[in-house]
Order: sequence, then structure tokens, then C-alpha cells
Amino acid sequence: MRPPHTYSEAMPLLRRPNSREKLRTLADEELMGLVARNDAEAFEVILERHANAAFSLAYRICGTRSAAEDVAQEAFLALWRSGTHYDRARGSVRTWALGIVHNRAVDSLRRSGAHDRRRVSDEGIEETLEAPERTDAQAIEHATSHEIRRALAELPDDQRRVIELAYFGGFTHVEIAQMLDTPVGTVKGRMRLGLQKLRSQMRGTEALGA
Amino acid sequence: MSTREHQPDCPRHVDVAPYVLGALEQQELESFREHLAECPHCRLELAELQSVVDELAASTPLVAAPSELSERVLQTVRSSADLLNAAGQEADRPSRFARGQRTRGFAFAGAAALVAAVAIVLAIVLGGGSSSPKERVILGQASGAAQGAQVSLHKRGGHAELLLTHMPQPGAGRIYEVWLVRGKAPSPTDALFGVSSAGSSAVDIPGTVQGVKQVLVTSEPLGGSSAPTRNPVIAVALG
Repeated sequence: MRPPHTYSEAMPLLRRPNSREKLRTLADEELMGLVARNDAEAFEVILERHANAAFSLAYRICGTRSAAEDVAQEAFLALWRSGTHYDRARGSVRTWALGIVHNRAVDSLRRSGAHDRRRVSDEGIEETLEAPERTDAQAIEHATSHEIRRALAELPDDQRRVIELAYFGGFTHVEIAQMLDTPVGTVKGRMRLGLQKLRSQMRGTEALGA
Repeated sequence: MSTREHQPDCPRHVDVAPYVLGALEQQELESFREHLAECPHCRLELAELQSVVDELAASTPLVAAPSELSERVLQTVRSSADLLNAAGQEADRPSRFARGQRTRGFAFAGAAALVAAVAIVLAIVLGGGSSSPKERVILGQASGAAQGAQVSLHKRGGHAELLLTHMPQPGAGRIYEVWLVRGKAPSPTDALFGVSSAGSSAVDIPGTVQGVKQVLVTSEPLGGSSAPTRNPVIAVALG
């Protein structure tokens, strides 16, 4: 849900000290304008909004809380350091932040060696944000992530598996082909078909929701 | 147009899905990026599949981040903000010049002066305002895409600043990252930077360089990496 202020409405706020409550009414993209001006409080709101999603993604990929914490911490500090590079035309702040988390988590996983790599599974990862603790925004996040997981689960197994091994497992298509004893071309084809089906399903969900 | 409709137009369309999932082999990446720059069919498919992968990132079961994580991040961010605000706008933040977006209107000399101001503030904060140690200037080596760049590291005690001129831009969607080598493997730093349109940059090396054998710079994806993904273009041996 988009906060009510437009960018032009937000501008007067930039000229006086930011109170936490006012900052919380701003959209991420507006907050990033303040972050580019070294506003730590604006960054704190960004952190509040996205820490759970970032940690969750890092946890899913790394498989341990300590590695996920390290990855999420590195990613948020990189976000702070490179805040001036945020370009809203290239996607939402959340997408950008999660992209950094994903890159860092896969780097971490690859450095730790293929034998230690976590096989993709939801086992052991429980949803620790119980419903009464969720804010409205978190409830929307939860519903969205549930829809995407359901779409992923509805894919044929061979397509779902190659997508999960690549994206959450950090394996290359060559490694996946070796693991599954399947030709490289077949692995690439399954990845493509799976992503196309996911796209169609997500579009269908959007159309139904519209 | 759907991805199916333009499937036959390019034999390399099969690489788009593994690319967007981050599953191409390292040696395939560079040539595929070059191909993407020339192939509108693959770029279209990339745009379509990228939106799906962006959603995948948000599909993980929601786990509450430990409160210590936010505390640690905010502690560093607040300290950094205090120093940057004391020194002026973006004293040691990466430049936007690299992306060719709106310029900040300050010359490199001004940026260098601001970085120097941060160094002074750091010296006061870390050294308790005691007399400053002697500066040692070490010349570095540039190679690969940065061949011809001039590199010098200005070291005072444990603090160092890297000054670069005639550097190429890091490339679209990329940023330079500083690495410190103490043992065998380089350790990442938070020093991510671009260069001015004239190819200049002044980079404050975070933390101490005590015990550091080499300072390296590589070109990395925006946001930086935790391990180098390309060969260093700058190397300074501290010896």
C-alpha cells in the first residue's frame, strides 16, 4: 500500500528536521532521496520496512541465522553506502534491496563451498511472525509471498526444482545439470518454461485482483 | 508480445532464464551481457522474466529479523551520517557521475577536500585529537580496463585515502569496490565508489589499514559483492 504523500507534498519535510512519524508517511522512493542526503533516520524507516523480508531471503538462501544476519547486515550497509545510486525507474526500493541481499547471500554460499550448500527446502524455517504481531504492511507482504509460493508449488516438479536450486540454492545451470544428471539444455529449458508459467499465473492473479 | 512469440528470433534466448536466476557460469556472464546490449529480443525476454524473479525474492516465508541486526546496522549508519554531515554532502559517498545522472555541481577538488575533512574528523574521533602522524604516499598499479589510471594511497597512521585519476567509468549497473588483503583472500569493505566524468575519485578506506598487505579495487554490481567477481583493476602494495 502506497503511503499518502506524493513527492511534491513531501518536499517541505526535507527542509526541517524529520520526525519519525512524518518519515513513516513517506514512500520508500522519497525516503531514499533523504538517505542520499545522509539522513540516518530516513534509513531507519527503510530498515524497519524491509529488515524482515531481507533477513527472510538471506535465511532461505544461507540456511543459518548467523550467516543470514551477516548477509543482511552487509546488504543494508551497502544500501546505505550506495543510496545515491538508487534509481526509481529501475524498480522499487524493496526490489533493489532484495536484489542486493540475493547477490550477497549467493556470494556467501558459493564461498562456503558446494558441499556445504543448503539444499532448497522449507524444512526448519518457520514463520515466526505470527498473525497478531503483524502490521498491515506485513500482512500484505505475507499474503503476497503466500501467493507466489503457491504459484511456485503449482509448477511441474522438474521446473520448480531447477528454479529453486538456481535462485535459492545458488547453483549454476551446469551444476544443476550434473546434480540432476540432465542435459544442460534441458535445465535451461525448464528454467525458462517455469518462469514463463509463473509469470502467467501471477498475471492471472493480478487480473483477478483488479 | 509474449516470450514464446520471439523465441525463434535469437539462438541465445535460452540463456536469459539462467541469467536472470543468477545461474550462468562466471565465464558465460561477460559474453551474455555483451549479447544483451545488442539483442532486443533477449532484452525483452529479460524484462519479462526479471519481473518474475523479483517476485521470487519476496516469496520466502516471513521470518522476524533479530533486533540486534537493526541495532548493529543503525549504529554504523548513525556514526557514518554524523561524520558525513560534519564534513558536508556526500563527502565519501559514491558519486552519481558514474551513471550519467544529474550531477552534484561540485568539482573533484571540492570532493577531495570534503573527503579530507572526513579524514580529519576521523583522526580527531579515533585519535582523540592528538598530533597527526606523518603522511606516507604509496603509488599503485592500474591494469585491465583501468590501464593508464594514476593511483596513490595516502596513509597516515592506520588511516588511508585512495586518490585516483584517469579512471574509466565502472560500467552500467556497476560500481567500484575497495578490498583489503591481510591474509590470502581479499576482504570486502563498505567503500563503494564511482568516478567523476573526468575519471577522478577520492576514496576514504574504512577502518584501519594496519596489517594490510594490499589494497585492491574491482568493478562489481551495484551494492557491491562480498567476494570479488572480477580481476582487480587497481592494486596498491603496502609492504
